[in-house]
Amino acid sequence: MLLVLTEEHREHLSMLPQVEPSVVGEFGRIALEFLRRGTSPKIYEGAARKLGVSVEAVQQGVEGLMFLLMESSKHTISEVDFMDSVLILGFGEELNQVLLQLYQDNKVQIRRILSQLIPSQPAFHQLEWRLDVQLASRSLRQRLVPTVTMRLMLSESEEGQRSTRVLQTDPSTLLHLISTLEAALAAVKTSHSRRILRNIK
Amino acid sequence: MRFRFCGDLDCPDWVLAEITTLAKMSSVKMKLLCGQVLKDLLGEGIDYDKIVKLTADAKFESGDIKASVAVLSFILSSAAKHDVDSESLSSELQQLGLPKEHASGLCKSYEDKHSALQDKLRETSLRLGRLDSVSWRVDYTLSSSELSEVNEPLIHLKLQKQGAESGCSETAAFSISADKFRVLLSELKQAQALMNTLQ
Repeated sequence: MLLVLTEEHREHLSMLPQVEPSVVGEFGRIALEFLRRGTSPKIYEGAARKLGVSVEAVQQGVEGLMFLLMESSKHTISEVDFMDSVLILGFGEELNQVLLQLYQDNKVQIRRILSQLIPSQPAFHQLEWRLDVQLASRSLRQRLVPTVTMRLMLSESEEGQRSTRVLQTDPSTLLHLISTLEAALAAVKTSHSRRILRNIK
Repeated sequence: MRFRFCGDLDCPDWVLAEITTLAKMSSVKMKLLCGQVLKDLLGEGIDYDKIVKLTADAKFESGDIKASVAVLSFILSSAAKHDVDSESLSSELQQLGLPKEHASGLCKSYEDKHSALQDKLRETSLRLGRLDSVSWRVDYTLSSSELSEVNEPLIHLKLQKQGAESGCSETAAFSISADKFRVLLSELKQAQALMNTLQ
């Protein structure tokens, strides 16, 4: 599929042919850092001073380049499609090659960064358990009460924060829990789910 | 096929697959690798460079190295978990396809560190909070704004405990009158007597 670039985007990218291809490579690196960590005005000012253009032009060029790379990685377009989309901008052959190289080198990384932006539910990390038997308490002796205590650790979002829940149950509830979960697992093997899974594959 | 070291369950498929990878190493190197994995299980940290050197002869890629470390730590920790003796472990591993020298090397290392492993596993079992320390102070109240002659002893107790999440410690400080304290002490002594009968 071809990327459709808006007028504004094309304007922003129009400053790229005015500089040398090595500078475009440098802009590409800045654009990737932007994706990973955000950016600072100092980098733009330094580049603007060296090239003799305005800070805004540098910023627009870098952001335009970053947006181009991001859209291409998002749709994982093939090289042919990428070249066709870039040809519309009317850049020189060398510049197109530089852009293509940038895209190919960094496609995987950009996709990985983009995948971290997907909102995620807390996910299972670990379950620790212990089996205890209560023998006596202050009010009552000669008891025999088995309990299963569990600590469920979940990982929230992406920063690796862990949330912990402590649960306690008696063995009969635990058996019920196990049979419910096994029924859930068995539901994957029914013909209905198999039919759907076959169509997704 | 039920295996004792898997807790009388089937052996997981990945363990079967990685045992063939382990068999590719020489048995001497595998015994050294076991030593490293045992050190890691006992909490002494793992030296990844040494492991890379040990597996360099067998030309393992990084995925193979990680897999062999994983399968060794699974075998050793679940054998300690289910308290398997080393002869049964050796025979079960040979049934799974591990060559005899490898199995006997592994079981020798396991037997040496058997009780240390079980102690470490006991320490890391789930505990919902431990008591760190108790400090106390006995005061004697002379008088107060309500009553000019009080003349009663008072005990301050401070209990320091480690919360359910590791690394957060909580403090409970309270004061208790002499009578209540006597009740508390006798109840705790009863609980201690009960615990002693179980030993």
